[in-house]
Amino acid sequence: MLLTPNAMSRRMRLGLYATTGLIGLFLLLPIVFIVLLSFGSSQWLVFPPPGWTLKWYGQFFSNTDWMNAALASLKVAVLTTVFAVALGLPSAFALVRGRFPGRELLYGLFTLPMIVPLVIIAVAVYALFLKLGYTGTMFAFVVSHVIVALPFTIISIINSLKLFDQSIEDAAVICGASRLQAVFKVTFPAIRPGMVAGALFAFLVSWDEVVLSVMMASPTLQTLPVKMWTTLRQDLTPVIAVASTLLIGLSVLVMVIAAAVRRRTETRA
Amino acid sequence: MKMTATTPTGSALGAAGAVCSKAVSPPLAQRWRGAGNLIPALLFLGLFFLAPLIGLLLRGVLEPVPGLGNYEQLFANSAYARVLLNTFSVAGLVTLFSLLLGFPLAWAITLVPRGWGRWMLNIVLLSMWTSLLARTYSWLVLLQASGVINKALLAMGIIDVPLEMVHNLTGVVIGMSYIMIPFIVLPLQATMQAIDPMILQAGSICGASPWTNFFRVFLPLCRPGLFSGGLMVFVMSLGYYVTPALLGGAQNMMLPEFIIQQVQSFLNWGLASAGAALLIFITLVLFYFYLKLQPESPVGASHAR
Amino acid sequence: MSAVIQDAAQNPGQPLVSLRNLNKFYGEFAAVDNISLDIKDGEFLTFLGSSGSGKSTTLSMLAGFETPSSGEILVSGQSLVNVPPHKRDIGMVFQRYSLFPHLSVRDNIAFPLAIRKLASAEREKRVDAMLKLVQLEQFAHRRPSQLSGGQQQRVAIARALVYEPRILLMDEPLGALDKKLREDLQDELRQLHRRLGITIVYVTHDQEEAMRLSQRIAIFSHGKIVGLGSGFDLYQNPPNAFVASFLGNSNFLKLKAQGNAAASFEGQSLSIRLTGGLRSEQDVLLMVRPEKALALSVEQAAGQPLTAGWNEVSAIVGEVLFLGESQTCSVKTLGGTSMTVKALSAAGMPLKAGDPVRVRWATADACVYTEWAESDLNKAAGAH
Repeated sequence: MLLTPNAMSRRMRLGLYATTGLIGLFLLLPIVFIVLLSFGSSQWLVFPPPGWTLKWYGQFFSNTDWMNAALASLKVAVLTTVFAVALGLPSAFALVRGRFPGRELLYGLFTLPMIVPLVIIAVAVYALFLKLGYTGTMFAFVVSHVIVALPFTIISIINSLKLFDQSIEDAAVICGASRLQAVFKVTFPAIRPGMVAGALFAFLVSWDEVVLSVMMASPTLQTLPVKMWTTLRQDLTPVIAVASTLLIGLSVLVMVIAAAVRRRTETRA
Repeated sequence: MKMTATTPTGSALGAAGAVCSKAVSPPLAQRWRGAGNLIPALLFLGLFFLAPLIGLLLRGVLEPVPGLGNYEQLFANSAYARVLLNTFSVAGLVTLFSLLLGFPLAWAITLVPRGWGRWMLNIVLLSMWTSLLARTYSWLVLLQASGVINKALLAMGIIDVPLEMVHNLTGVVIGMSYIMIPFIVLPLQATMQAIDPMILQAGSICGASPWTNFFRVFLPLCRPGLFSGGLMVFVMSLGYYVTPALLGGAQNMMLPEFIIQQVQSFLNWGLASAGAALLIFITLVLFYFYLKLQPESPVGASHAR
Repeated sequence: MSAVIQDAAQNPGQPLVSLRNLNKFYGEFAAVDNISLDIKDGEFLTFLGSSGSGKSTTLSMLAGFETPSSGEILVSGQSLVNVPPHKRDIGMVFQRYSLFPHLSVRDNIAFPLAIRKLASAEREKRVDAMLKLVQLEQFAHRRPSQLSGGQQQRVAIARALVYEPRILLMDEPLGALDKKLREDLQDELRQLHRRLGITIVYVTHDQEEAMRLSQRIAIFSHGKIVGLGSGFDLYQNPPNAFVASFLGNSNFLKLKAQGNAAASFEGQSLSIRLTGGLRSEQDVLLMVRPEKALALSVEQAAGQPLTAGWNEVSAIVGEVLFLGESQTCSVKTLGGTSMTVKALSAAGMPLKAGDPVRVRWATADACVYTEWAESDLNKAAGAH
């Protein structure tokens, strides 16, 4: 308790809770609204809808453009996750365990893609791939997504690695394991929550990425957000609400997984 | 690369560090111990992030002709200057509103019993990790002339004519403030959680009424969280593209949209690059101040305690 | 200088603070159980007890951070129960100092005066006087985080005194400091109290601290005050077995009464203090402080015949410990009761483990209890 009941007047507290309730609703409003809208029968997004229907879902799943986009999104996100973790894991080890000059600076470099506005990364990478003729390829999508996903995986892994007491790994070595065995059998299991969190972050970042994807996309290869983006600029059809609901659904799913992983490690600790 | 020769990069994760270091001069190997693991990621970032970035920035002084022409144009042309002004005023307004909305939320999360607080934090996290595009689309529908909000206001008799809330400044500020709230709440809540409740009791026994206590003790103690959250949101707002592009109108274009427009519509890479350089410069300067506000380095002192 | 207004009109016989049948329940649990207590003006009173005994809750109710479930808190005859903490005009020093981290030492001390909208000249004057009182003049512009624990505590005391409250509450204020510093500050605090004449209510779990500081001690256990009096009285004549066991060390002997002034212990007859209303064969508990008992070797005992008013039991030495200025000897009586005898080292104790020994004490030095609970005899039993 921050202010004890006596140190904070009742009116102050009620006012605060009321305000907070409204802000909480404000946070939930667009999310709930869009999910409801995807089931509404009105073509013109009238709310509350005159009736409920699944026809927009039918349209979404029977339209090859939307389906291809969704599939591409999934593919890009999975590949991004794999590469971000593969690159992030050794980097995190080096940054936490290494003792070399410029460590801070390198850490700064690795988190730079988080700070540099996405638009600039998008334009820069677009220029490169335009020259190389790679725009519109899976390669371009994955590379650009890994750039922005990498800081998330590195930071999560660094955080859990810092909590891990390296002397436990040394103990495994004393017990007869090689350093490599010790890392795989002792350290990796211990930092798994950080690795999983990093992977989930990478997946979410890629899954929801708009700016980079819009620049990388071609008529033949586009992700779900790109398809939504281009459709949005023409009209507000309820099929976009369906796509949004799917995006939201997957985000929620990933969050639930993250929470479950966290709870399991908490109860084990 | 000189360090590859002296560091045991062959084995994964610096595993063979102790073994190989016998072969080369110890001080140097010691100096670069474990650095080899960085090489894959460094190569990747160097090739696909740093090189294109530098390439882009160079175009600003090389295209169409070498010189500072693009920058002159950027500052001299009143339409472009308005883009800059817009960028800053939107970012400022968004920071202000997200602070105003995020502060009570963070405070309440700290005050309510733990279970409730966790739920409220979950809502904040949910909104943070829910698709940006989906939320922006939702606001587009909610705020449009025939949208729910206008209809509700009309029905309640508060307004007679639908308010124009999209494709203008209002829409951008509403949508972006909404998106930025979690970035205020999370650091601010951490700051508030760390405040010793006894200090507020001390304030009240010293004679401070609840309001005085709030303004003279609590608020000053929240200042670090308010500053770092606010600065972060301001920096992020400067570089946002999706929400302003969808909810804003042509007359309130911001710098990111301007850059994309120059590239995609006018193929004017020189001017786009000048804009990008400006945006990066401002971002990095502000981020430097942000880091100054942070108490400790993220990688440093890992084994100190 | 006098930092505290002496209320001349105050009748010295009348208590400044009165707690009347004070209760605090958390659900079914009674944290404070029907406490009544009068605190005199200018008194240094300590609440002593282990954690969870209700002493801190009582203090919180005095400060206004907790509302009593029932009962009355009166200051100069007026109820405080519905007065919020910031209007009580009570000073308080917290366990972890709770200084305002964003203010300098000077501004911390000036805070209560600024709240009270004192003119700045007067404010400066009082803050300067306080800085002088706690000897922190040269640290006035530092932040609390730049001070040592002892200095922070001095700032906290200055902040609590600067607005001249009639009552100063202190919640284990020295708990976080090391032993040497704690003793120095205890001395300073005692002098401060003497100089200012302020009423201090002090909470601690450290009985030595309580003895060193206070004029009266209230011993808390299970939400009740089980002993109230000067340290001397409570130690020499504990009102009950719990207080006897809680304060200092004690030997407990279980006896069967034989009349009002005699009892049998392991088959042997002992004289006890004259205690009214004892039935024959009633269980009685005898308490002897270790330093009030003597341990004599068989030869010494033979040379010094037992005088009237003294008792003697036979025992076997278990262990002799040298503790510097004193030494202790733990013995076991023939019936299996453990006792400890303490003597100054200078007195000598020519005993070793396994020796037969005679333990003697004066009847007048042994307290007699007719009612007790087995848990009272256990030192750790104060908490819930």
